[in-house]
Amino acid sequence: MNLPPLTRRDFLRRSGVGIGMLGLAGLLAPSRGLQAAESGMMHRPHVAPKAKRVIHFFLNGGPSHVDTFDPKPALLKYAGQPLPQTFITERKTGAAFPSPFAFQRYGQSGIEVSDLFPKTAQHIDKIAVIRSMQAQVPNHEPSLMLMNCGDSIQTRPSLGSWLMYGLGTENENLPGFVAMCPGGYPTKGAENWQSAFLPGAYQGTYVDSQNTAVDRLIENIRSPHATPEAQRQQLDLLRTLNQEHRRERLDPRLEARIESFELAFRMQTEAADAFDVSREPQHLRDLYGSGVHGRQTLIARRLLERGVRFVQLWHGAGQPWDNHEKIEENHRKLSAEIDQPIAALLSDLEQRGMLEDTLVIWGGEFGRTPTVEMSGTTSKLGRDHNHYGFSVWMAGGGIKGGTVHGRTDEFGFAAVEDPVSVHDLHATILHLMGLDHERLTYRYSGRDFRLTDVEGKIVKEILA
Amino acid sequence: MKRPSDHLTIAATCGAVLLMAVAARAAEVDGAAFFESKIRPLLVERCYECHGEKKQKGGLRLDSRAAWQKGGDSGAPIEPGKPEASLLIKAVRYADKDLQMPPKRQLAPEEVAALEQWVKMGAPDPREGKLVFARTVDFEAGRKQWAFQAVGNPQPPILTQDEWSRGDLDRFIFARLQQAALQPSPPADRRSLIRRAAFDLTGLPPTGEEVDAFVHDPSPDAFAKVVDRLLASPHYGEHWARHWLDVARYSDTKGYVYAREEKRFVHAWPYRDWVVRALNDDMAYDRFLLLQLAADQTEPADSPNLAAMGYLTLSRRFLGVTHDIIDDHIDVVMRGMQGLTVACARCHDHKFDPISTRDYYALYGVFKSCAERVVRCGEAGDTSAAFEKELRAREDKLRDTLAKRREEQSARVRATVTGHLIAQLELEKYPEETFGQILGPEDINPDFVRRWQSYLAAADQRQDPVFAEWHQAAKREPAVRRQVAERYGARFAEVEKKWRTLLEADPSAQALPDPADEAWRRVLYGPDSPCTVPDEAIANTEMFFPTKVTEELWKLQGEVDRWIVQSTEAPTFATILTDRAKAVTPRVFKRGNPLTKGEEVPRRFLQVLVGDHTEPFAKGSGRLELAQAIIDPHNPLTARVMVNRVWMQHFGRGLVATPSDFGKRADPPSHPELLDWLARGFMDDGWSLKKLHRRIMLSAAYQQGSFGPADAVARSKAQESDPGNRLLWRMNTHRLSFEEMRDAWLAAAGELDLRVGGKPAELFASQNKRRTLYAFVDREHLPTALRTFDFANPDLSIPQRTDTIVPQQALFGLNHPFLAACARAVVRRADQPGMEDDAERVRRLYALLYQRLPTTSEMNATLAFVQPERAPVARQEQPNAWQYGYGELDETTGRLRSFTALPYFNGTAWEGGEKWPDSKLGWAQLTSTGGHPGNDRQHAVVRRWVAPQDGIYAIASTLIHEPTVGDGIRAFISHGGRGLLRSTVLHHSTVTLNLEAMSMSAGDTLDFIVDIRDGLNSDQFLWSPKISTVATTGSGGDGAQSWDAQKDFAGPPMQLLSRWEQLAQALMLANEFVFLD
Repeated sequence: MNLPPLTRRDFLRRSGVGIGMLGLAGLLAPSRGLQAAESGMMHRPHVAPKAKRVIHFFLNGGPSHVDTFDPKPALLKYAGQPLPQTFITERKTGAAFPSPFAFQRYGQSGIEVSDLFPKTAQHIDKIAVIRSMQAQVPNHEPSLMLMNCGDSIQTRPSLGSWLMYGLGTENENLPGFVAMCPGGYPTKGAENWQSAFLPGAYQGTYVDSQNTAVDRLIENIRSPHATPEAQRQQLDLLRTLNQEHRRERLDPRLEARIESFELAFRMQTEAADAFDVSREPQHLRDLYGSGVHGRQTLIARRLLERGVRFVQLWHGAGQPWDNHEKIEENHRKLSAEIDQPIAALLSDLEQRGMLEDTLVIWGGEFGRTPTVEMSGTTSKLGRDHNHYGFSVWMAGGGIKGGTVHGRTDEFGFAAVEDPVSVHDLHATILHLMGLDHERLTYRYSGRDFRLTDVEGKIVKEILA
Repeated sequence: MKRPSDHLTIAATCGAVLLMAVAARAAEVDGAAFFESKIRPLLVERCYECHGEKKQKGGLRLDSRAAWQKGGDSGAPIEPGKPEASLLIKAVRYADKDLQMPPKRQLAPEEVAALEQWVKMGAPDPREGKLVFARTVDFEAGRKQWAFQAVGNPQPPILTQDEWSRGDLDRFIFARLQQAALQPSPPADRRSLIRRAAFDLTGLPPTGEEVDAFVHDPSPDAFAKVVDRLLASPHYGEHWARHWLDVARYSDTKGYVYAREEKRFVHAWPYRDWVVRALNDDMAYDRFLLLQLAADQTEPADSPNLAAMGYLTLSRRFLGVTHDIIDDHIDVVMRGMQGLTVACARCHDHKFDPISTRDYYALYGVFKSCAERVVRCGEAGDTSAAFEKELRAREDKLRDTLAKRREEQSARVRATVTGHLIAQLELEKYPEETFGQILGPEDINPDFVRRWQSYLAAADQRQDPVFAEWHQAAKREPAVRRQVAERYGARFAEVEKKWRTLLEADPSAQALPDPADEAWRRVLYGPDSPCTVPDEAIANTEMFFPTKVTEELWKLQGEVDRWIVQSTEAPTFATILTDRAKAVTPRVFKRGNPLTKGEEVPRRFLQVLVGDHTEPFAKGSGRLELAQAIIDPHNPLTARVMVNRVWMQHFGRGLVATPSDFGKRADPPSHPELLDWLARGFMDDGWSLKKLHRRIMLSAAYQQGSFGPADAVARSKAQESDPGNRLLWRMNTHRLSFEEMRDAWLAAAGELDLRVGGKPAELFASQNKRRTLYAFVDREHLPTALRTFDFANPDLSIPQRTDTIVPQQALFGLNHPFLAACARAVVRRADQPGMEDDAERVRRLYALLYQRLPTTSEMNATLAFVQPERAPVARQEQPNAWQYGYGELDETTGRLRSFTALPYFNGTAWEGGEKWPDSKLGWAQLTSTGGHPGNDRQHAVVRRWVAPQDGIYAIASTLIHEPTVGDGIRAFISHGGRGLLRSTVLHHSTVTLNLEAMSMSAGDTLDFIVDIRDGLNSDQFLWSPKISTVATTGSGGDGAQSWDAQKDFAGPPMQLLSRWEQLAQALMLANEFVFLD
């Protein structure tokens, strides 16, 4: 055969729709995302995006809304007495438990924030607080799945995976979806960032941010058996052999795979750079703070800056915010670890002009009861899980700052005004990212699946 | 039985209807006007969004009269004339917290008033719209879909000018190619062909000798012999088992479970091995399916075939939520064996295929009528007496405790009948099982409340006299019903007391003498009593106990499971389903919600397949009948679906492109007659898979090359008109799966362990050289490498793997130690004694890896790469001044008694071994920033620094112990010669340990030692000292230097690959290795 070798463009044109296209599409058109095997549709933004990237502070375990962003002075009236109306939660709770934290108005908007988040509160005018979130059940596992994957029980792709599928990544040298959690996995582990029936490439890349060495942050990012110079020569040889092999063959995957080695080589340098916070000036490192949360948040900003689509920052292994006991002491300690990094991130993003197209999300899988948790007849000075009403806030790209949306009852037990379901939250996030939650679908098992299942309503009131 | 109150109600209703009819005529015109001016705009504005054409939340539509008259999941929203009785009015009033509409914002008071008035007027509604959303499945039309048509008996086309076809199969292919004026490709060369066949059938590369033998075999049946040899290989079953395991969502673990439960299955690997064996034995496919669904009913009690039922019982645990476990079973059976997405019909009739929710719940009833049981299967094996004794002890403890707790809990329910009856009046307080409440022994258990609920419903249906009063009171006000409940409670307590007394007098008593009493006693003790915990495994009964008891029982079950899982004696266990004594007649859950139950449906097979007037299943759960319906030779799907799966694995794409979905939305088959011809032949051959492989592989279609027609014009025409190669004008290239790749690497290295069967092993454990099939599959923590390489997600039935090419795969190939180790082994293997010629070595590598010789240009390129004068591969590394070890501090001398290096580096930390804590060195660990002392004072961890030259040095360090629990640690800085320089004890605190000037000679050591204080508990610490030169003394000094324990931290010096090893690695990563022509 004496055919001229085909160019990449030829391959693309001639190969039509086929599963072999998957990876190639991902490599050649990273911003448009991969093509789905069953779905056969190429996704791209449906509407004009307000945000290009997302950072999600996940306060796993469930932060108390009545102690942070949803003040309930009425609880004082009932202190030590049963509330007129309570709801069934996971455990037994007793009397009303007024917040031990002082609330104060901040900013032009005058939104009240407790003294757990005084630094974050300085940015309240950039923030929209949703005080009427609702989940479905008062248990961690299903609620984590609901918040991350849109379904309590079934295996479904996570929000980050959907974003990867819908939008791809903007930096092919870095994983597009990163989940950082210092010290180990949160409850439910990698299921929180699973890709489920979407291709494995869309799952979140887990990073144990307690580590500092880059080769411990990302698997296989550094060779333990070759120097970069030697590896470069090896890759040159590989390319020569692969090109020789490719000459008469028709499969476009061959070319894609040749390219993937070059990408991998670049990724090694780029990732090492992205994760190395020592390249940041001292004043910024000071701004974020020295602890693991400061470092993790600063790494997150470096990743976002480099085109990573979605970074999720978990507070720590297990469920640290799950304060059934001694909530005053525990919430105080936990918030002190992240208040400064969050505030620093908001300032830093703003200063870099990135806040306007970065969506910042804060929240847990649910909130906590306004009543005190009991162990028999003894108070544990903590709060039980509460899915009937809780707070989540968002700031940045497309968000109307200084807004409060929705309301819980006068004690903070249940959302009573403008309740927002997790599907609504997801619909809103996708909308801000330029995706129509009803059109972002993937065909699996005979159905067109969506992140929002058959529900979801954009919360227009918090949009700028 | 007459119920006077019923007559009353009916009379009242009739009266109201009559009155209304009279009034309505007069009001009709006004009513319509009122509706148009006040009501319609309101409905359009505030209600249609969720209850209109696009969405019907709660199954309700409000955009036509017929629609709201039909009602939604909660019944009719409007009782014309009766605002107080109308749910719609209740909802807009926002009085009930659980029923508030519209949910986002309450209507204005005048809007609520308008609605009230409208309902009072009789809800006049001139809208004539038809009721369109009540979808009913048109089975008649559905059956016309090709997949539901009987498998035909097509004859191969008769072709003129066909020199290509080798047999009937090819004639189907060639006819289509001819129609499209396309040419097939010339036959593949023999080396490519045997590689293709070997991987296709066994997942392994052929050996060089096998390739040579085939290449030089002149006999006409040379390839047939190869195929037969491969089909007879025990590795055939291994490779094809993996394809089936993808469909069966195989995993060695249950997925996320609460900590109380053992997450590993005891029966996973026996199922996997059963599949391997069944395929190797060429078990008839219909029997293969039958056993996986109902071996418990067709096989003797100790049959090894019981392991087959892992197909069902290897599902995720779904946190114990039964509905989801059953949904999984329906999905894996229906997609896996029938190519139908029946699970779509869980919430509504299937949107495309003729499958109704009734079909779904008919199958739901089958699985709801089964319980899990762990049984021993196969030969007794040669387990030791010690193993058996301990197993028996653990099983006894579990069984006895379970029996005791069952009895206690049942007694508790019997003693609280009143509470369970009162609970029926406030069911909303007892959430469904997805809602996990922590329950104490005194709490009314929601699952018992539900059991009472269905028991009472059944009692009502059969008009059980015991509950006559209860049911008569059903319509009364709550206070009255409460009193009734209390009366019932008292009566049951009395009966219970009588029974106890009788039992004391006569322990063998079977019944109470008074038949009336006995009827009541049977409610408490009868076989389907709502008071007893069923005599089933904890997996099926966990929801019936107080939380602490559930935990206790799971722990005991875990003890049994762990004993089995850890055993090296490998007894085999199966988890089977067995039919419950009393089968459940399921009810449809409207919108999939178990709280809104709809009509009853009998347990039966799919209506579209069995016809509109079929008999329900009659034997037990009906599971065996379900299996028989599936393997019935008249079932149009079973053979087609499997034949298509096999075809897909051989050609890279099925004749039907969606192998688990033969429904309406799937593309029709590319070659429908061929599909039927294959399916028919498959069944005629006694469902033999091996004969099917043979038929496919001996075709010209299979044996053609992948380069396209030799003729350039024909080739570009084919590329233009059929780029996806649907018509098979060439063979598709096959990219090795992760398993094939890893196995092939190990095979090339000469290290592949080919033992068949047995327990799983960690994928990357250094000693694991077994086939990848035997890697431990943890669906909760799947190794990243597997996910990166598109391994089938073990949570879901996967018909076909996705095929991505991403840089993370390349990173794995380049940097993971596994491949480097293989590359080293390949080079060792290639290096024959006395071999000096580089070209010969290159030839050996090519033979080992590709079973061919290099071309001239390949030889040139590879030789150039290995030439020694090329840039050096080694990095100039500074020797590490730090060492990492352990030892014991001699408190009298202040020096270490001994220093031993920590033997293992995990990439981030120095430790005792591959697993941390290590069996000998315990928790001892050193990282860049700190570490953890060993478990006792003999195992203090020691970071040692060795002075490179004489001089004066300064030390700066901060030591942190963070945890509040435990009693903290002791820390020392010790000079090898002079002894202790600093010592401290700290707990939840920070200490600065500095030395400003310290004179040392070259080779002197400084030891930074940490041991436990008194107890081993939370002793991790942070301590990364910095050392700097203050002044150098003596000769050879090269000025100020500094050492930073954190920055300098390193593992063992790099074991760099040699040029030859790099070459081998490159050849193993090259496309030629990974893609088969």
